[in-house]
Amino acid sequence: MRIRVLLTLIGLALLAALPLVATSYYLYLAELAMINIITAVGLNLLSGNCGQISLCNASFMGIGAYCTALCTTRLGLPTLIGLPASVIISALLGAALGYPARRLSGLYLALTTLGFLELVGIVIEEFPDYTGGIRGLKVPRPEIFGFSFQSNVALYFLVFTLTAAAVVVGYNVQRSRYGRAFDAVRQSPFAAQALGIPVARVKVIAFSLNAAFAGFAGGLLAGVVGFIDPPEFGILVSIQHITFIVVGGLGSIAGSIAGALVLTALPEALRGVQEYGELIYGFILLGTLLFLPRGLVGLVAKVETLRSPKPPAKEPAYGAP
Amino acid sequence: MALLEINALSVRFGGVVAVAELSLVIAGGEIHGIIGPNGAGKSSVINAVTGMVAPQSGSIRFAEKEIAGLAPHVISSFGLGRTFQHVELFGDRSVFDNVLTGFYRHQSYGLLAAALRLQKTVQSERETHERVRMLLDAFGLTPFVDTPAGLLPFGIQKRVDIARALAAEPRLLLLDEPVSGMSEAEAEMAVTTMRKLAREHGITLVVVEHNMRVLMNLAERVSVLNQGRLLASGTPAEMQANTAVIEAYLGDAA
Repeated sequence: MRIRVLLTLIGLALLAALPLVATSYYLYLAELAMINIITAVGLNLLSGNCGQISLCNASFMGIGAYCTALCTTRLGLPTLIGLPASVIISALLGAALGYPARRLSGLYLALTTLGFLELVGIVIEEFPDYTGGIRGLKVPRPEIFGFSFQSNVALYFLVFTLTAAAVVVGYNVQRSRYGRAFDAVRQSPFAAQALGIPVARVKVIAFSLNAAFAGFAGGLLAGVVGFIDPPEFGILVSIQHITFIVVGGLGSIAGSIAGALVLTALPEALRGVQEYGELIYGFILLGTLLFLPRGLVGLVAKVETLRSPKPPAKEPAYGAP
Repeated sequence: MALLEINALSVRFGGVVAVAELSLVIAGGEIHGIIGPNGAGKSSVINAVTGMVAPQSGSIRFAEKEIAGLAPHVISSFGLGRTFQHVELFGDRSVFDNVLTGFYRHQSYGLLAAALRLQKTVQSERETHERVRMLLDAFGLTPFVDTPAGLLPFGIQKRVDIARALAAEPRLLLLDEPVSGMSEAEAEMAVTTMRKLAREHGITLVVVEHNMRVLMNLAERVSVLNQGRLLASGTPAEMQANTAVIEAYLGDAA
């Protein structure tokens, strides 16, 4: 069996069995890790596949979080409306940002998305009547058809299911004509255009899609944490999301998952070494970047090729049919 | 009947005139060679026709539609394809994925259908995969299906580039030096494949080359460019006998 299939099955089994052994704190951590997976999958489609950098991934998470929070608290709407509303509103705002940004790349795009991040932060802080401002906002746990996810195990499985769904959607998009268009735009916009791929439009779609994933993750985050405030959606969080996909593997769904899981768990695992924790975290990060340029999934691919050395392809006789 | 009509086309980069008042007619179904020494404006013509460079003046009509100044992907969607002199493959994607991407325009399912992988998505993907396999087979690329395109030798990359361009099912395909980097034998085979595909699929080919010998075998008509102008036009044999052409180009190359 291929290693990645095996890893996926083991991972799923472990995640499903986790509530049997884990304390509520570790369940909570696992929920955060899964929410990070959702946001990493979305960001990877935009940055890893489409090649567009974004420093405002956290903002879209924030938009989703506040949207779900406001829908369920102020408007009294059920989670089943609040969460999809988060996705739709984030996607629309993502398109609204992606449209003017479609001709930008590199540093200019980085600065534009940074500007958006600041803007969202200011809006949240300037309307404390609605958002709670810097004091934050309390959010109730998700509730579906009258069933409130007060139990930690129930909440865990809700997040687990929704994360799995989001990963499948991300995977489906990546292997569709849209995913191929994203890759084409990153690797050669000229060739993409020559094949009839509308480059500018594809970039707007990628932005919108990324925002939808982030908004969904944010909506879940609000319900899981039970409290949101502006610093949770700042630049540091955006950069953390970028490290997820770079360490995990750019342009890879498995990479998004691996990066988000490992980097969410790592600070916990390093708590034992106290003040050296951050230092070791930094070294691990640097080491991955230096020695695994294709991320953690690059490591798996390497092991796979070691295990099954392919005979070199022979030059065929040309054009025979 | 004329499929592509270029009329008084001028392309300038700052003060440099790349194409000057060029007029050229490509008939539907023909294999037309464009030849000329370095800097004759061959690539600029391709870039202007495909919308990658905006012409300063002149008109370009494709299938009776004015296309000068339109966006490249719009022009491409009319059925005008191209390959690149210095191949522009999606380097870290497999050969299969490269050609598959070429079918983008011919798959029509939407984003939601893609995200939920609805039946029509599965259907479209299955059909397209089959066509990719056939195309790869026709170009002898089957052994490289899973190889990242960027790792292949240049000659094979050229083949991938042509196969990918054909995937978009163009009515007219502009080939920018399609056999450069290929061995003599490879080039000959490529010429045979191209001629066969053009005939089978009714594709009009415009082949830009600076190697006269390639065009002698492939093209039915040849236009010779020099310093952005049309020097002469006719059958390959006529061009080889044309004194102006020999002076400007063949004499130079020999």
